[in-house]
Amino acid sequence: MSCTLGEVKNRADFIIYWGGNPAECHPRHFTRYTLTQKGKFLPRGRKDRTMVLVDIRETMSAKAADIFLQVRPGKDFEMLTILRALVKNQKVRAEAAAETGLTLEQLQDLVNRMKAAKFGVLFFGMGLSMTRGKHMNSAAALTLAAELNAFTKFVAMPMRGHGNVTGADVVMRYTLSYPFGINMSRGYPRFNPGEYSTVDLLVRGDTDATIVIGADPGATMPKPAIEHLKRTPTIVLDPKVTHTSKLSRVHFTTAATGISAPGTAYRMDEVPLPLRPALKSPYLTDEEVLKRIITALQKKPAWQPAVKGGEQIA
Amino acid sequence: MLRITGGKVYDPKNGVRGEIRDVCIAGGKIVSDVPPHARTIDASGMIVFPGGVDVHTHVAGAALNFARGLIPEQHRKSRPIFHTPQCRAGLAGSTPTTFATGYVYAGMGWTTANEAAVPILSAKHTHEELADTPIIDKCCCVLMANNEIILDLLETAEFERAKQVAAWQVWAAKAYGVKAVNPGGVAGWKWGKDCKGLNEPVPGYKNVTPRSIIKALADIIDQLALPHPLHIHCNNLGAPGNYTTTLETMKALEGNRAHMAHLQYHSYGGDDWFTMKSASVPIAEYFNAHPNLTCDAGAVLFGDTVTITADGPWQHLLYELTGRKWGNLDVENETGCGVVPYVYKEKNLVNAIQWAVGLELLLLITDPWRVCLTTDHPNGATFWRYPEIVRLLMDREFRKEQLKHIPEKVLSRIVLPDLDREYTLSEIAIITSAGPARTLGLAQKGHLGIGADADVAVFNERKDAMEMFSYPRFVIKSGQLIIEEGELRNSIEGSQFASKPTYDSAIEDYLRPLFSQHYTMSFENYPVTEECVHGLNVHQCGSCTQPG
Amino acid sequence: MSTAVTPEPTKHELHVVKHAVCTFCGCVCDDIELHANEERIVETKRACILGESWFKHHTAERLYPDALIDGKEATYDEAVEVAADILYQAHMPLVYGLSNTTCEAQRQAVWLAELVGGVIDSHTSL
Repeated sequence: MSCTLGEVKNRADFIIYWGGNPAECHPRHFTRYTLTQKGKFLPRGRKDRTMVLVDIRETMSAKAADIFLQVRPGKDFEMLTILRALVKNQKVRAEAAAETGLTLEQLQDLVNRMKAAKFGVLFFGMGLSMTRGKHMNSAAALTLAAELNAFTKFVAMPMRGHGNVTGADVVMRYTLSYPFGINMSRGYPRFNPGEYSTVDLLVRGDTDATIVIGADPGATMPKPAIEHLKRTPTIVLDPKVTHTSKLSRVHFTTAATGISAPGTAYRMDEVPLPLRPALKSPYLTDEEVLKRIITALQKKPAWQPAVKGGEQIA
Repeated sequence: MLRITGGKVYDPKNGVRGEIRDVCIAGGKIVSDVPPHARTIDASGMIVFPGGVDVHTHVAGAALNFARGLIPEQHRKSRPIFHTPQCRAGLAGSTPTTFATGYVYAGMGWTTANEAAVPILSAKHTHEELADTPIIDKCCCVLMANNEIILDLLETAEFERAKQVAAWQVWAAKAYGVKAVNPGGVAGWKWGKDCKGLNEPVPGYKNVTPRSIIKALADIIDQLALPHPLHIHCNNLGAPGNYTTTLETMKALEGNRAHMAHLQYHSYGGDDWFTMKSASVPIAEYFNAHPNLTCDAGAVLFGDTVTITADGPWQHLLYELTGRKWGNLDVENETGCGVVPYVYKEKNLVNAIQWAVGLELLLLITDPWRVCLTTDHPNGATFWRYPEIVRLLMDREFRKEQLKHIPEKVLSRIVLPDLDREYTLSEIAIITSAGPARTLGLAQKGHLGIGADADVAVFNERKDAMEMFSYPRFVIKSGQLIIEEGELRNSIEGSQFASKPTYDSAIEDYLRPLFSQHYTMSFENYPVTEECVHGLNVHQCGSCTQPG
Repeated sequence: MSTAVTPEPTKHELHVVKHAVCTFCGCVCDDIELHANEERIVETKRACILGESWFKHHTAERLYPDALIDGKEATYDEAVEVAADILYQAHMPLVYGLSNTTCEAQRQAVWLAELVGGVIDSHTSL
């Protein structure tokens, strides 16, 4: 259940941010898309909307909220499950509610408000999707929103960060069917998160070369993963010489996305936007460097997927 | 240069019905003759068809890509497309990847496809995917019947301005035609409501009804002289008893051109899921008598698929019926879409009726030029299953055999067992190529006359039509040999058709302030630029006619 | 050949880019007005504090060599050859990142992963 951000701007009278701190991480989210904008059907803007923040601590974003609900760390899944039960009018014990750090009354009040909304939206951040429960939490949030549609209009959307990571998701889905973590070693796409995800591959030492584009894992990844990047040949494309560049065999300096490199980027709601670079870079773009590497590879004898008894292994 | 010799040629547009004659190709076009040194393909024992044209399919864009993300478990079972030096990797399955889409269409002799549902807001995304869809030529229809700027103008009866806005939007999206999906119903769905009949005001409006939207858009498109008529997905899709809404819609369109999309989903009788029955007879009767209309079948085949439509309310109902996954994506001020994975089961009463209705329409509509073969891919079945439908149409005995598998109580609710018609090869060439090309207004497609685009499919002549049409021996696209001896030997890039209706550029001054009020992106970043469209081929529309 | 003399723009002459798009966070605001000289962006109207520092952080200066091989300065062509060799010889190469880059580069990255039979992954899997 999702929508583009303009739907939120024009219609959402009830907004929940869960496990995110937009005031500091997505500073214009409130003013451009959600909270303070006057919408087509919400002429008074902020006055026509109610905002709830659910987080483990009182961040800067709490100041913007009408209601702040402090969930106990690691209890997001429990809280989502109780909300789902309350949406369906099932009985919940007060002690079970108390485990989340909130009272049953608080949770019931939230459910009443969700059901009474004309158009509700639940934005969930990394505080939900990257903590205990991980994708189980995201799934529970999406299910809660889906189930609320029996009563009113309700959507849910992840608060994605990191520049054009949404674009990567979009491009991989349309070229290879899957959003990330795709293994092409058999000549066609295979997907198995946990097996083909970068940190798992690096920590297990499964890879024997890495090319890094528009990221700096040398600064952010767990130590064993970084050690493996050092141990095996690594190639980096980045506008700056990064931590990862310093442990790499090859570094390419490239133009900066949207500043000196043109192209397309996707917003977190998968709306594509054309980049308008203001500077002319003395460097090649990522796209140009990758094209050159591809041309160099095409001059070598073609690699073919493993063949067994004349049949390609499927 | 190429000469195809010795094959039985089926070129219905030029009155050629299975005569043995040469087809000559030079410079990407069909020509009258080529010099003796030109390569010759011996097509003895084979049939020669113009390349297939799909009038209604969903192969690119935000909604389909959303669906791809929702069904990893189906991808696992999909046919892999292996990486080779000629060919990019991918997966076929119910939502083929971009590269796979091009290869699989070409691999069955289809060379043009119309992506039927594009929101302007994400049109750039659709065009990016189409750029990565090789071999085939493409065009797309922009969604308009729930566009709030248009609906607001209709509310205040500003038809002329609505027409200007519509023309601007077609070009902004680099679209070829206009599609109306559940007119007013998707806008209503944004409040969790729907539009069932044609005469009730759309939620949020006083004067606008589905009927007024349909009529206004059909008038706009006829007056703008777009090459393809209004492409309409009626209200009440999929619901028992909906054929009355469909009849009403067709009546509302008298005096206009219109294309009725996936008519199968709009031809049901009965009062509820328990009494549902086929209503293909009254629909086909009306349709046969009204030459202003064309349609595509939207046929259903049994098996796994995923349903994707801009019809959000229908998808929510389907989710409640199946209890399976549901994805919904609303697009600001323009449209929405729903995604539900689905299995059509032989033993399921409703599914068996749907299967029958698609075939009934194809058999009951007498003029093959006005009905196109589609499955509303991937909704009724995936496009690579078209050869199964061709066999069902050509082979009465095979149809009878298939009828044995569906529940007996269905037989009294359908007319399929009584239909003895068998399609001829000429008629298959019409519903898969010549007809859809004419419906789309693509004069250079769907035939093998001199000057036509050299898109040709050559099949081994066989008794089993499904086998015959599944694996062409040769496929030529834009004069290039793509499939040779049944193998993909070469991949080329296709072009993309867009229409440019005339409009007064002052309309931008009207749109700009509205835009910053209602949208969340800059007006200047909204239209798709010409550079973004790969292989753009612009159809300049004639001058805008005034209402008479 | 044109004989018209085009004056070299000075470093202080500012040009303005309207409706510029900020790719720092997932909001991807597209209403930014950038004022820039030949070398750097000096003003970022409507950008937030994170966006402003992002736009001003990257310049058109030549701060680094085109490429480095084992820490030593190299040309693009040399680095391309070494990179292609590394990826070609690897049994299980990994293509990773793809956040701070364009969709056009991402499409090339997919092709690259296919050509070398490797794994392709983004930030999302973290």
